[in-house]
Amino acid sequence: MIILWIMFVMLALYLIRVLKGPTIWDRLLGMNLISTKIIVVIIVFASLYETTFLLDFAIVYALMGFVSTIFIALFLSERKLGRKRGKK
Amino acid sequence: MDIQSIQYLIGNIVISIGIAFMVFGVFGIFLLKDFYPRILVASKIDTVGMFTLIMGFVIRHGISFFSGKLMLIIIIMLILNPLVAHIMARSAYLSGYEVAETEIDDGERETTLKEN
Amino acid sequence: MEINALFILWIISGLFIVFESRLYRIIIYFGIFSLISSVVYLFLGAPDVAMAEAGISAFTTVFFIIFVGKYYGNQTNITREKIEINQFFRKLKGITLPFVFCAGLFALYIYTMPDTAASTYLKEWYLSNFISDVGGKNAVTAILLAYRVYDTLFEALILVVSVVAVVHMSHFSDSSVSDGHHSEIENSGMAVFTLRIICPIIVLFGGYLVVNGHISAGGGFQGGLAVATFFICRYMVYNIYDISVKRVMQLEELIFLSIILLSIIAVFLGAAALLPTAYLPMFQRAYLILMNVFIGLKVACGFFILFYRYIAFERR
Repeated sequence: MIILWIMFVMLALYLIRVLKGPTIWDRLLGMNLISTKIIVVIIVFASLYETTFLLDFAIVYALMGFVSTIFIALFLSERKLGRKRGKK
Repeated sequence: MDIQSIQYLIGNIVISIGIAFMVFGVFGIFLLKDFYPRILVASKIDTVGMFTLIMGFVIRHGISFFSGKLMLIIIIMLILNPLVAHIMARSAYLSGYEVAETEIDDGERETTLKEN
Repeated sequence: MEINALFILWIISGLFIVFESRLYRIIIYFGIFSLISSVVYLFLGAPDVAMAEAGISAFTTVFFIIFVGKYYGNQTNITREKIEINQFFRKLKGITLPFVFCAGLFALYIYTMPDTAASTYLKEWYLSNFISDVGGKNAVTAILLAYRVYDTLFEALILVVSVVAVVHMSHFSDSSVSDGHHSEIENSGMAVFTLRIICPIIVLFGGYLVVNGHISAGGGFQGGLAVATFFICRYMVYNIYDISVKRVMQLEELIFLSIILLSIIAVFLGAAALLPTAYLPMFQRAYLILMNVFIGLKVACGFFILFYRYIAFERR
């Protein structure tokens, strides 16, 4: 299906964003976006082959993917990693 | 036209609307220069695009066990994705990544924006 | 066909990790790498492994970020030894290059071999017999809990031993956490509210994975990981350290003992032979569900202890 190819192109673009992103939060944003696109890929596969049990994996990714993102963001909020705007 | 083909047609239209949301979001992620506009756009991809796309699949499959599980995923994503965007923006703000008021005003002026 | 594109993305994200030198970036790249790898496992036909990898990726990124934060504090540019590409190939010279060469030759040899079917009699035997021997519908669970239960016991023992090692080797005093607050991070009200909604869903879904493990993909380990993420969320909500690790450790060892006893009674002594044949499917199902529940509880306790110890370990 064509949705899969669009999703893969989007995954590649997000990987570029992750590699390029000037700050660490851009990378974190890319990670979150990739985890949600992976959920879409699994849903598309489950819909193609009419298999219900693949949707369990989508729920697992939805519930577990966010934990690491939120935890990294919380830990980074203590540290002064920010690029000050004035010094640019 | 029987009911199933109409279902498939409406489902495909809704799915393509969701895809359009996502594609515009990707454009935004690459065109915008700052982190805060970017996260605004990205949360749009995650919540609105995902919601529309999964709703398309729900319409395609009608009332069944499959679409019940999809509804559970929709609820989880609607709860979690704004939270993730919120926490990322908050952590960026707290650790000293300042918000630009305008594009010209790039100096060290203090911003009036406050979190929460 | 579509999966090949995913493979390419997988390899590229692996290369990110190798040629990056800043630690925070490496952690994020690693998270992406393990996310994509779990999908690849799923589509290659190993759903149980994929589900385990999804949980493990969440936990490893959390543990790594804790380590980096603890050891390097507020330093902004933490780098490991940077690997240039030239240097990378120079390092390969010694033992590695002949090894890689031999491995490549071996792979070529296998690839060019004529298509003779490998002997899969064991696999066929498992697949044809596991429903009558063990019960359930998931062959992986059947192999894990009945045919290869001795291996499973030792895997469970490894987690117990690692938890004991972490607890005994980390500096930790109860007085430092008596006031409760452990983190300078203030959570926003919105995050607390939302995580309170999501926590019960996580526990419910973990219980579903554990109880449903003998029918579809999932099982004790995966469900235990899902339940253990509940404790991370709980820590993020309340920001305190109020559960006694010692009690949880005793509970975990008790559960481990009961796993051993259950497997000895059901598999090694063959208690099923004593029953009349009408009760056999019920007994098999009860054994599988009980074993999965015990393993899930044990994994949840183990990962809970690891997480709390790492969080409390030498807090500045």
